[in-house]
Amino acid sequence: MATDQAVAWPRRHRPDYILLILVLILLTIGVVVIYSISPALSLTNNVGQNYFIDKQLLSIAIGFIVFGLAIWLPISFWKRLQNPLIVIAGLSAIAVRLFGQEVNGAYRWIQIGGISFQSAELIKIALLIWLAGFLSNRIRSGTLGDSRKTLYPVLGCLLILVFVVAGLQSDLGSTGVMIVMIACMTFVAGMPLKRIALVALIVVALFGIAIAIAPYRLGRIETYLHPSSNCLTTGYQACQALISVGSGGMIGLGLGRSVQAYGYLPEASDDSIFAIYSEKFGFIGDVIILGLFVALFSRIKRIIDRAPDDFTRLLAVGILAWFGSQTLINIGAMIGVLPLKGITLPFISYGGTSLVFVIFAVGILFQISRYTTYRVPANTNGEGMRYDNSPNGRRIRRTYNAAASSSSRA
Amino acid sequence: MDPKQHNPVVRTAGRIQLIYLCLIIVVCVFVLRLFYVQVIRYSYYHTQALSDQLKQYQIPATRGTIEAYQGNSIVPIVLNQQLYTLYGDPLLIKKTNKSANDIANVIGGSATTYAQQLSTKNTQYVVLANQLTQAQSNKILSYKLPGIGTLGQDYRVYPDGDLASQVLGFVNNSGQGQYGIEQALNNEITGTPGQLKAITDANGVPLAASSNNIESKPVNGKNVVLTLDMGMQAQMEQILAQEYQKTNSQGLSAIIMDPATGQIKAMANYPTYSEADYADVSNPLLFQNAAVDNAIEPGSSMKTLTTSAALDQGVIQPNESFYDPAHWVIDGFNITDIEQDGGPREQNIASILALSLNTGATWMLMQMSQPGGTQITEKGITAWNDYMVNRFRLGQVTGIEQGYESAGYVPPNDPTDPSLALTYANTAFGQGVTVTAVQMAAALSSILNGGTYYQPTLVSQTISPSGQVSVNKPKVLEKNVVSPKVGPELIPLMQNVVTTYYHEGYSFMNFSPNYIVGGKTGTAQLAQPGGGYYSNIFNGTYVGFVGQTKPQYVIVVFNIKPNVPGYAGALGGQPVFADLAHMLINDGYVAPNN
Repeated sequence: MATDQAVAWPRRHRPDYILLILVLILLTIGVVVIYSISPALSLTNNVGQNYFIDKQLLSIAIGFIVFGLAIWLPISFWKRLQNPLIVIAGLSAIAVRLFGQEVNGAYRWIQIGGISFQSAELIKIALLIWLAGFLSNRIRSGTLGDSRKTLYPVLGCLLILVFVVAGLQSDLGSTGVMIVMIACMTFVAGMPLKRIALVALIVVALFGIAIAIAPYRLGRIETYLHPSSNCLTTGYQACQALISVGSGGMIGLGLGRSVQAYGYLPEASDDSIFAIYSEKFGFIGDVIILGLFVALFSRIKRIIDRAPDDFTRLLAVGILAWFGSQTLINIGAMIGVLPLKGITLPFISYGGTSLVFVIFAVGILFQISRYTTYRVPANTNGEGMRYDNSPNGRRIRRTYNAAASSSSRA
Repeated sequence: MDPKQHNPVVRTAGRIQLIYLCLIIVVCVFVLRLFYVQVIRYSYYHTQALSDQLKQYQIPATRGTIEAYQGNSIVPIVLNQQLYTLYGDPLLIKKTNKSANDIANVIGGSATTYAQQLSTKNTQYVVLANQLTQAQSNKILSYKLPGIGTLGQDYRVYPDGDLASQVLGFVNNSGQGQYGIEQALNNEITGTPGQLKAITDANGVPLAASSNNIESKPVNGKNVVLTLDMGMQAQMEQILAQEYQKTNSQGLSAIIMDPATGQIKAMANYPTYSEADYADVSNPLLFQNAAVDNAIEPGSSMKTLTTSAALDQGVIQPNESFYDPAHWVIDGFNITDIEQDGGPREQNIASILALSLNTGATWMLMQMSQPGGTQITEKGITAWNDYMVNRFRLGQVTGIEQGYESAGYVPPNDPTDPSLALTYANTAFGQGVTVTAVQMAAALSSILNGGTYYQPTLVSQTISPSGQVSVNKPKVLEKNVVSPKVGPELIPLMQNVVTTYYHEGYSFMNFSPNYIVGGKTGTAQLAQPGGGYYSNIFNGTYVGFVGQTKPQYVIVVFNIKPNVPGYAGALGGQPVFADLAHMLINDGYVAPNN
């Protein structure tokens, strides 16, 4: 064994509390913003003053329960559940189509009692766990580069997702997030770049088709390209979002002073919450919240770097891709650099299903962070070396080869 | 886990690094973009936000009420009631069909129509219904339908129904007074709306105090107290409705005026309309107050003015006799009386009025030209023109507080007109000149009250929102219209007309000697388009007065094209006058003189 080969042994230890603190701060910000616009929300939606805040707190409470579940059950439990989860997610997609509520031609929600459930969120989780399991198996069997064993299944999974989420549920935002998840997970799993490029080409083609069959998406892109010319019609939300963000200025109007929430900006509590936040807290507040998100991402990256095995590592990569893409797609739309996609801002937005599953994913991360692999390279004096900071690409390549051979021995 | 297993991190750490780097780069781009939007372009977006959010409103001032007399007390006749306009903002509507059904359940109408209106594209304001009651408005608001709201607005209510509707006018949906008092005094009754500039929600409801909010309070409109006596008015309207039937009239107008002040005590026309239902009126002529806006040739009732002018000039004496040739040839045309019974003979001034001699009226114009003469000269024409235009103020609006007042027409004193003498001879008995009922009433009043022309008025007082009463004093437009002796000379002449008719068998002209009642009929020919007059269509007019010892009420009646078996003046105008005079006496508006 080479001297630069990391020595890895997992052991249970203190989890990553900083991750948890960051998440709690973000959740608190969301609650505060929703609470502060409750008068406006209650006016524009004609519900009670506490309707939104109560439901948000309830979602967070349910989130804490699933969080408890995630840190109580071993990670391997979820790996065993990968196939049933796919089935459940598929059933939820069918149920939404059959019994769900139609909103603007899309079937995304199903009403169970007083709770509305968004199928795409469950599909995300199922995709995450299934793909992490699938790819880690392929790594183990060394068939990552095999078209038939790896590429086609991934491609098939991608096509089904696009058909269900983008096609049936018309949820391009969630589709985008899932594509980023698949891309990042296969990329990090080590799939050869040529094959990823092939998949990317197919994805681009699919988006082209998606736009061709549902012209309102083209409208969204037009809106995106010329927001100010359509301010009264299709670009209304985009324009109002930008006005909200811009009118926040350097320091914002102040917590209780949002005007845009009073019926000007649609979806003020969920998809557009970043714009409302910006109006209240301005550029400084935006830098702070982006800083919090970056801190969160870096904590997740730290967990990825120290993950004990391929499955957990790919899980964490998938979650980073999920949180990262969803955050950036949402904020990008609000500040006019990306088209509107209709997805929530993780931790901040009002929205039960999304929030519960996001917190569940944090629970998974938290659980993974308990089993950090301490890699002690021989050429350092006991400090855990940050391999990701290593400038030595050659070393990594050699390690990859070594790992391949080691894997074949296992 | 196999400790000997390869370390996956090491294998693709570069790829994770790359993903993370991409994330950081995008976040940095976002920060730059935020800096551009929020700091560099702040003022642009700030302005954009204000242009949406800052709305300027007029706070409507409460429209003044209209009141009138009931005997000596003042009673309201036009009041305000808050009614509500129901509107929807299609952009904010959540459940179109449910909203439409809820609305239809409360106010009726078709849910389908409401749903269609609520689905209108590219608008944020559709009016769904007008004039909802407060209860209906509250009921709909209680459903808390997103995008549905109501807007309170004052509407007029009329405790006395359609009484005096043509005098009052109405207020249209945009708050403008139309016709009548509402139009003439619109500015005073409307008041001054207040201004509110405020940050509002998307529905336009002002949000809590903001430094951008500016407010100025509305000044409410003044209340107006009319000179009308509602009892008299109601009786008059009833009489007009009856006489309209009896005389097969095309339209009736009447005025009762106080000659000492020019105040209108009652003024009505028939047919009329109901202000509350003005929107259902298909014939806009019904909105008009014919008593002030319909100028017609008055016919022989004009002779009261001609006689007064000649008396004032001193060219005739009340008891004077003259030789009536039964016809005059002027500018090649024959002027005759309608009835040529009796032929040429000696007549007196009283019979000019009592028998309504056109030749007599023409003779008076001749006397104004040259006492004792039988020619109409420029001198007579100029004098008579001066009386008509400058003293009796014909051919110009009186300025009464009504919309669309008509000026009437007095033929110009144009010396180049080859038939000027004929034209003016005609005016002496009320043809070729048009007047309104109110002009007639004001002119006769000025003679009877001793020579002062008061502007006819409907306004007794105005009351400011703070309660300050401003009494509308009689406004003198012309002094010494005629000398004070003319009135007392004319009164017996007009009384004689009344008694003459009574003795001729017009039993309704029977008045107790405890009152002075005088009058003059007018049967006016109607000009035919293209020249000449109809031979079988007439307007009936009547001017007269009632009083204890002096005229207290001047009454003018215009009956448009009555279909009666006799003279329009005697059988179309006179009975209406008689009814009104009897009403004034019987209801105690005039006290007996013994």
